[in-house]
Amino acid sequence: MTIPASGAELAGEFGLRKVGGRPPLVKYAQQVWERRHFAFSLASGRAYSKNQGGYLGQLWALLTPILWALLYYTVFKYLLHVNRGIDNYAGFVVTGLFIFRFISGTMNRSASSMESNNGLITSLQFPRALIPIAYATAEFLNLLPALLVLLAVAVLNGEPLRLQILLLAPAVVLAYVFATGLAFYSARLVVEVADLGNLIPFVNRALMYASGVLFSLDRYGDGAAFQVISHTPLAIYIELARSSLMVEVPVDAATWLWAVGWAVLTVLTGFVYFWRAEAKYGRG
Amino acid sequence: MADQTPSLIMDDVSVTYRSFGGKRQVEGGRRPRWMSKHIGAVDLIRAVRNVSFVAHHGESIGLIGHNGSGKSTLMRAMAGLVPLASGAVYTDGQASLLGVGGALMKDLSGERNIRLGCLALGLSPAEVDERFDSVVEFAGIGEFLQLPMRAYSSGMGARLRFAISTAARPDILLIDEALATGDAKFRKKSKERIDEIKETAGTVMLVSHSMGTIRQTCTRALWLHRGQLRLDGPVDEVVDAYESSLG
Repeated sequence: MTIPASGAELAGEFGLRKVGGRPPLVKYAQQVWERRHFAFSLASGRAYSKNQGGYLGQLWALLTPILWALLYYTVFKYLLHVNRGIDNYAGFVVTGLFIFRFISGTMNRSASSMESNNGLITSLQFPRALIPIAYATAEFLNLLPALLVLLAVAVLNGEPLRLQILLLAPAVVLAYVFATGLAFYSARLVVEVADLGNLIPFVNRALMYASGVLFSLDRYGDGAAFQVISHTPLAIYIELARSSLMVEVPVDAATWLWAVGWAVLTVLTGFVYFWRAEAKYGRG
Repeated sequence: MADQTPSLIMDDVSVTYRSFGGKRQVEGGRRPRWMSKHIGAVDLIRAVRNVSFVAHHGESIGLIGHNGSGKSTLMRAMAGLVPLASGAVYTDGQASLLGVGGALMKDLSGERNIRLGCLALGLSPAEVDERFDSVVEFAGIGEFLQLPMRAYSSGMGARLRFAISTAARPDILLIDEALATGDAKFRKKSKERIDEIKETAGTVMLVSHSMGTIRQTCTRALWLHRGQLRLDGPVDEVVDAYESSLG
């Protein structure tokens, strides 16, 4: 047997395939789809284990949002007597807060997701995009019981039961798609420059002020600042959720278009951005 | 018997790690010592350096060397799990590391972990259903199935991890010290299981510090020293040389 000049030549001769690296984008997307069950299993495991301690177990998935809602309700309605021009101020705040915490929590946690799953990455072969997807899905699963609480708060506040309530479903699904895109970005960014992880809390707080969680964005006047801020993704998703639950928050078709646009844009560009570094993850 | 068809080719492979939070002390470095200790304390560690070899179908190869010689990193490189600094790895089929430890969650029940681990290995949900009972039986966790893994004894946890990780059948099996888990009875069972997988896998790579295990299971051995391949040859020859180097 003659000795081939290189490994590549020998591999070619016997039909061996190159391992690792980054598959083409379309093939990568197919691999992600094939392994979706793994991502979902990872996500539901994360969501489930969050409420695993204590005697009440999974009841906490419902109790936690109830307690948050009660706290804000009491503080704003009976202690501070603020309404900032909004009749159902407690419902306004709680809805904004739950949607905000869903999106910012996804961004937060997926920032450290590649690092904290290093053991998984360095022991099993799978498209790494499954990790940010699983993180966003886990946060989404945690949001579902909170949505029930939002419905209850709205009804208890005297909001009428009308058909628009059903629009809450597409609103949160779009927010979930957007959050998944955000998760791709934050997961890779922190892998590239670990120091960025330290900036996440500041980004979060800035987003909170800019997205009208605690007050209506009308406060920014109606100039350029308002135009920009009211079209940021968080403000859009929060507004859609509020409008489906509260009569006094009107909504127009343009807001829905913005919501779809932000979701599609973020998830597609985020996926490509994450994929481009596929061969880098797991370096430790 | 080993034929001459290659199943795995390592072509001049190097792996480099970035390490944050510390830097090796080098004489005559560019920056003052106090500074490189606290700011910009990032170091590059060359864990595997220019390793080349070819493994063939039917071969069992032992990988030996001191702690930190790059054995585990090399295995991960074979499975395509760590980015390579240079070189390339070619395989015939899927090379898999035995072990799903990283995928499991200690807060979840054995049942959920079996599903999670099997899906992580790349099985389809239907395949998971099919193999579920045999995994439970092999692990011997019985009534503990519904308890969170946190509540398992370390032996029980190791048995479950082993049972899950051997649920898939890779073409090239990479084993990193997995043989020494559990009690005597389970060790015997797991050895049988590995023999079974070896028959279907074709090629097996084994990392172990037990020279007895290496001599018993392997026909060929590679000796890694500080990330470089020092010796490659028949198992007795390489293990003898390694042992005599230990003094």
